Order: sequence, then C-alpha cells, then structure tokens
Amino acid sequence: MKAIAQLWRFRELIALLVQRDLKVRYKRSIFGMGWTLLNPLLLMIVYTLVFSTIMKVGVPKFPIFLLSGLLPWTLISVSISGSAHCLLNNQGLIRKVAVPQMVYPLAVVASKLVDLVLSLVPFTLLAIALGRPPNASWLFVLPAIVLATLISAGLSLFFSSLTVFYRDMRHLIDILIQVWFYVTPVLYPLEFLQKLPYPWLRYILLANPATAVIRCFQRPLYEGQAPSALHLGAAVLCASLVLVLGIAFFLRHEDEHIYSF
Amino acid sequence: MSGTLSFTDVGLCFRMYQERVDTLKEAVLGRFRHRHAYQEFWALRHATLEVRAGESVGLIGHNGSGKSTLLKVAAGVLKPTEGKVRVDGRVSPMIELAAGFDPDLTGRDNVFLNGALMGHSRKEMAGKMDRIIEFSELGEFIDQPVKNYSSGMYARLGFAIAVDVDPEILIIDEVLAVGDERFQAKCMERIRSIRKSGRTIFYVSHAMGAVAELCDRVIVLHHGALVFDGQPAPAIERYRELQGFRPESSQVRTAT
Repeated sequence: MKAIAQLWRFRELIALLVQRDLKVRYKRSIFGMGWTLLNPLLLMIVYTLVFSTIMKVGVPKFPIFLLSGLLPWTLISVSISGSAHCLLNNQGLIRKVAVPQMVYPLAVVASKLVDLVLSLVPFTLLAIALGRPPNASWLFVLPAIVLATLISAGLSLFFSSLTVFYRDMRHLIDILIQVWFYVTPVLYPLEFLQKLPYPWLRYILLANPATAVIRCFQRPLYEGQAPSALHLGAAVLCASLVLVLGIAFFLRHEDEHIYSF
Repeated sequence: MSGTLSFTDVGLCFRMYQERVDTLKEAVLGRFRHRHAYQEFWALRHATLEVRAGESVGLIGHNGSGKSTLLKVAAGVLKPTEGKVRVDGRVSPMIELAAGFDPDLTGRDNVFLNGALMGHSRKEMAGKMDRIIEFSELGEFIDQPVKNYSSGMYARLGFAIAVDVDPEILIIDEVLAVGDERFQAKCMERIRSIRKSGRTIFYVSHAMGAVAELCDRVIVLHHGALVFDGQPAPAIERYRELQGFRPESSQVRTAT
C-alpha cells in the first residue's frame, strides 16, 4: 500500500516520461504520429488478405473484427516488449535517484496506451466506412481500455524486473508474444476455440487471461453489443490477478535490481 | 525537526560473483553447480552517525573508501544490508550533475524532468524556472536540446536545478570540478548561503581547502569504515596520514 502511495507522489514523473517518449519517438520522423496509426492498418490489410481472402476464415467484415482485437492486443504486446529493457535503459537514473522503480515500466505502458487511444480514431472512421458505425455499446470500450491497461501493467512490471536478472528474457519474450498471439482469439473468433474437438486443449486455451480482456473490445466494437457479465467478470478477474502478481513480483525484487545492472 | 539523519551500525555488502549469472542458461545450469560462487565485499560497515538539522558535514576518504555508498544509502538508492537508517526530510542528491538529463530534450524540459525525479510538481518547477535560468546563465540556450550543450553548460544547469529544489538535505558530490573558475566561485557562494539558511549539507570533495571552509564537521572514511568524525582540521590531518602511511590493521576494518 505504501508503495502505491509513493507511486502517486511521482505521477507527474510518469507523465513527463511519457511525454519524453512521445516527443523523442515522433521528432525527426516524417510521418510522426502517423506511424502509430499506420502500423495496425497495414497489419490489418495483410491479415485480411491472408486470413479472409486466401484462407477464408469466414468472418463478415473481417477488417473490423480483426482490428477490434488487434488494437488491445497491440497494447499488451508492445507494453511487454517495450518495457522489458526499460529498467536497464534507465539504470543511470536508478543508481542515483531514489524513485519508485515502477514508474519506468508504467510510463512505457502509459505511452502505449496513448497510441491505443489515438488509433481508435482511424478505427472509428473505418467502422463507419464498412457499415458498423459506433453505437451506445461502445461506451463499454472505456472499462475495456482500463482492463487492458491493468493487465499490460502487470505483465510489464513482471517482465521488466525479470529482464534485469536474465538478459536473454528479451528473446524469450519475443517468442512468447508470438505464440500467445496465435492462441488468443484475435485472428479468428472465440467460437473456433469452443468448437475444438479436444476438451483439454479447449480448457487450456480458454484459460488465457488475454482472451476475456480482448472479448471486452470485440463485443462492442465488432458486434455492437455490450460484453456479457461473464466476460466482463472474467476480464476483471484476469486483469487484477495479473496486476497484483506483477506488482508483488516487482516489489519483491526492486531492491536487488541495482546489484544486477 | 526535519533535516536530520541517523545511521546505526549500517553496512552495505556487494556480492561479487566470480561468474555472473545473468542468462537463463547459466541460471538453469547454476542450479547444479557452484551456485553461490561469490565473494562478499563490504563497501561500508559499522557506520554509525548522527547528523543534526542544519549541520554541514564533509565526507573525505580515498577513492573507493565508501563515500558514494554512504551517500547512496542516505539518498535511499541503496538499501542497507544491515543496520538502520533514518532520514527525516527530502534528500536532493546532486545527481552527478545531470545524470538525469535526457539529451534529446531541451534544457527547459529537463528542468521539469529533474524536478519530477525529486518529487516536485510541474507547477513548483515552473515557479523556479526563471531563477534556474538566471543562475545557470543559459539564456536562450534553455530551449535548445541539451545534447548541444557544452559540458560546462550541462554542469551549470545541473547545479542550478539541484540547489533550487529546496531540499532539507543537500548532497553535493564532487560537483565543483566542472565549470569555469567564476562559476565555481558562484557555486561556492550559493552553497554558503544554503548553509546559512539552515539546511543540512553533505559535502564530498577531494579539495581539502573547500572542505575545511564549508564544513562544521568532517567524517573520514577508510576502506568502508568510519575512522574519524570531528573537527575539520584534525580530520584532514587524519586523512592525509591515512594517505601517506599504511594504516594499522587494528584500526581499520578492511572488507574481505
């Protein structure tokens, strides 16, 4: 609890670190913010070509379905890969100023959150263009964003701390994210998993904590309906569990980081 | 009264691994063999000291004597391995002049960033901005990215920020080695006025003249042990003695 209060005192530092990240990232690049928005759109075109046109997954309005899951997935995955090295990169500061070290991974997550929120603008335009205009259920995107941020924060705290001790986590994280992406219903609807002939595999895949959170985006953004209480509850449970475990792991090892740089 | 600091039998131990385990493979293999192949090195041990508010304390000792370790423990960057540390008040480490600067940001943005690192809000720092710009003599360069600064400009900005954040405890670690003579004099003047205002100061330097002038009390560190604590003149004498002669092993707890 004390750690959280400490963190609150340094909220402006997080804001400044986010600002710094955005400024440095977008300065001297021709497209600036455009890259953030372009990236998911380009992925969408490629995935639509492969999965909808070539492999015929058979999901109507595939681009919207895909993006509604891909945007939150991107928040989770880039938060993890972006924060893995953030403690190592900020070791100069950590060695000299006593600041709760959680600010560094959390600033990474916050900066990726800005990207997610921004990318909802072109998403909305696309949804209107393809005939799935926003409706009242889109309000559920707000809690969904909170949940996606919490789960990203928990994972980022865990992996950023672990990377300090084991430098090759970076490679493991890349592989892990790829595998995780394919077992999470982003490229195909959740029903595909539920129809699997092997029940054990079904249970394992359904235990994926990212699934419930991503469903909370797909329901309003793609189906135009409020997420079911079951999905919302499962998402809250998954996100808070991951967050609490992430914080606990981080705080337990925070003081040891400095000796392993 | 805030601005006090007390160390009770504080020790800080570094583990020096013969083979550092920092990849997964080594960690897994390490389970089976020489997992604990490290040597302990006590950078600081049995340090007991009381600093009252408003005192100006000098820290001297050879390179590697534990001065920086002591300051890092005081600043809360390192947690002591043993003993108790109580710090009452905000500690402003003059972070090796501008370790916290981001080269791509302007001087102005870095003022905010540095302030935030010490827990100050943007509003507070905005209020201090004019004074900081004036003291650092940067003028319009404040809106240039700091990577274009000369090392003197870097140092001036760092010093200007550190002395303006109104810490109860100010740590000044070898800072005056940079900047030209005139600016050094200005810094000394500023340190004197901070001292008069009743702030607690930790001053680390190899310049004995400055130590004698600025400090009420001087602590001598030798191989991680506090070997002297008292008036500046005898402290400096003791320090010179330790530099010149091999210390008697009974007086010094060497780290092994």
